[in-house]
Amino acid sequence: MASPAVSRPKRAHIPSKLMRESLLNKQVMASTDSDTEVCILPDVNILVLGGQSILDRGKKAMGPVLEAIVKSRKKHKLVIGVGAGARVRHTYHICLDLGIPLGGMAMVAGAVDEQNTRLVASLLAKYKGIALNKDHFLDLPLWLEAGMIPITTGMPPYHYWEPPNDNPDRMPTHGEDLGMFMMGEVLGGRSVIYIKDEDGLYTADPKKDRNAKLIPAIEANELLAMDMPELILEKSVVQTMVNSRHMKQVQIVNGLKPEMVSRALNGEPVGTVIYCGEENHPSKGMWPWTDGRKKAKKNKTSKTSAKKSVRRAR
Amino acid sequence: MATHTNGNGSVPQRRTIQMTHGNSTSSVTAVLTESKYEEPIQVLPDTNVIKIGGQSIMDRGRSAVFPLIDEIVENAKAHQILIGAGGGTRARHAYSLALDLDLPTGVLASIGCATSRQNARILQMLLAKHGGVYLNPEDFEKLPLYFRVGCIPVMVGMPPYEYWEKPTKGSRIPQNRTDSGVYLTAEFLGARTCIFVKDEDGLYTDDPKKNKHAKFIPKITVQELMDRDLDDLVVEHIVLENMLKARNVRSIQVINGMVQGNLTRALNGEHVGTIIHVD
Repeated sequence: MASPAVSRPKRAHIPSKLMRESLLNKQVMASTDSDTEVCILPDVNILVLGGQSILDRGKKAMGPVLEAIVKSRKKHKLVIGVGAGARVRHTYHICLDLGIPLGGMAMVAGAVDEQNTRLVASLLAKYKGIALNKDHFLDLPLWLEAGMIPITTGMPPYHYWEPPNDNPDRMPTHGEDLGMFMMGEVLGGRSVIYIKDEDGLYTADPKKDRNAKLIPAIEANELLAMDMPELILEKSVVQTMVNSRHMKQVQIVNGLKPEMVSRALNGEPVGTVIYCGEENHPSKGMWPWTDGRKKAKKNKTSKTSAKKSVRRAR
Repeated sequence: MATHTNGNGSVPQRRTIQMTHGNSTSSVTAVLTESKYEEPIQVLPDTNVIKIGGQSIMDRGRSAVFPLIDEIVENAKAHQILIGAGGGTRARHAYSLALDLDLPTGVLASIGCATSRQNARILQMLLAKHGGVYLNPEDFEKLPLYFRVGCIPVMVGMPPYEYWEKPTKGSRIPQNRTDSGVYLTAEFLGARTCIFVKDEDGLYTDDPKKNKHAKFIPKITVQELMDRDLDDLVVEHIVLENMLKARNVRSIQVINGMVQGNLTRALNGEHVGTIIHVD
């Protein structure tokens, strides 16, 4: 099976650490690990508006929660991601019935997010809300600096390339929750907060089981080990969090109690905190990765920033 | 659910759509057993998805690429061929620069796309007079048109995950690169074959460029290959993981594109390189 010894044309390389190496080689791959990663937008807070849990409830639920978000905008840099809700479940049902393959389902599902993005963008336009197309991802710093609230579809752009999974429900595993988690992770942001219609994660679905108990904090690996049949959040978020380099905490809060959103943004654990590694337990502080920055800021205290931090403490 | 309260008085109702899925979270395991959906369809079952290696083929220039182009053109008369382009040395240069700058995996994935796109455009220009068209991922749905008129579509190998590429433990190189994207394209389409054209006969027990005693492996199952836990692999590891869960493409072949005739034989269903298969 050996190939005939013809004169093999040479490869033209650019000298680099990875030149000529196989990127499949274990040692080479290990050499690329690092504990320090640049935080691209360290002040950004990702808010994920649940589709079924918040959006599908209409004005009564959306009004108060959007009001809370608009108020928080003056204090915090925010990006809103929207979920899909009932229409995406209907989409999946029809697709499965027609035999549309997984990647096709992931591709068409995004349109529901787009509808919801436009709904939210229309409501928030006069309060600096603006729809963020993923092609404009690199414009984020401009918009945030201008005090805007970018609103984006939650689904990650996996589209036809949604990797196969062996879940019995045969639906895409990379949904809005994962997409927005990844945005927080890659940007090295301050927080990721999921706004749902329950106080957080329960031992069972509280809509079905009255004895279900709220879990205020849980470690990601432990949560995975519990293998709960239903989660309030996409499982892929917890699975990805275990490998994350930055976003080691996420919080789930009840958007039907809108003050919870503001309190969560102010660094209070008011729902369920899922964290990775005991050093990130919420009792040791929310978003510990922002501590170093706070200290750095304090050292450079000018009068205005001192005032600001007093205001923040209140 | 309608009577559910959260201590907040009346809870605004969800607007629901009645269907078999019900209204619980989308990860309900009961859905499939209740509804008994049929198997998914195959979107373009006659397609042959071929990946042209970046470092292994493109970076060798004319003497490696031209004979391969001739062979592709010849075979495109009998087969529907979709080409996915690899990255190569420029992608590595960009990765190593980004790594040195402590940038996250998502940024690496987003810049890695560009090299693969360059190679796809280069291949398109070489194939243009024979019907080569550049297939934008946004135009993916135009594939049937291109095949119907006898074109040879060329696309970026990288999947469009970019900033949404998930981090992995122990390495910051994106785990989904051009092998993964090309494989997932084939899997989605329900393609006839998925062939990786590289510069080695296939899989070896070690990197044959460095170890002269490395032994050739003509055929191996995915499970066996994963169990062997080799230091080096011929395709991205994630391709193997995805194959185990795949519905359509349960077998891939890695062939040596430096040997003329290999691609033709592989397209005709012959075993000329390493076949990695699930079943």
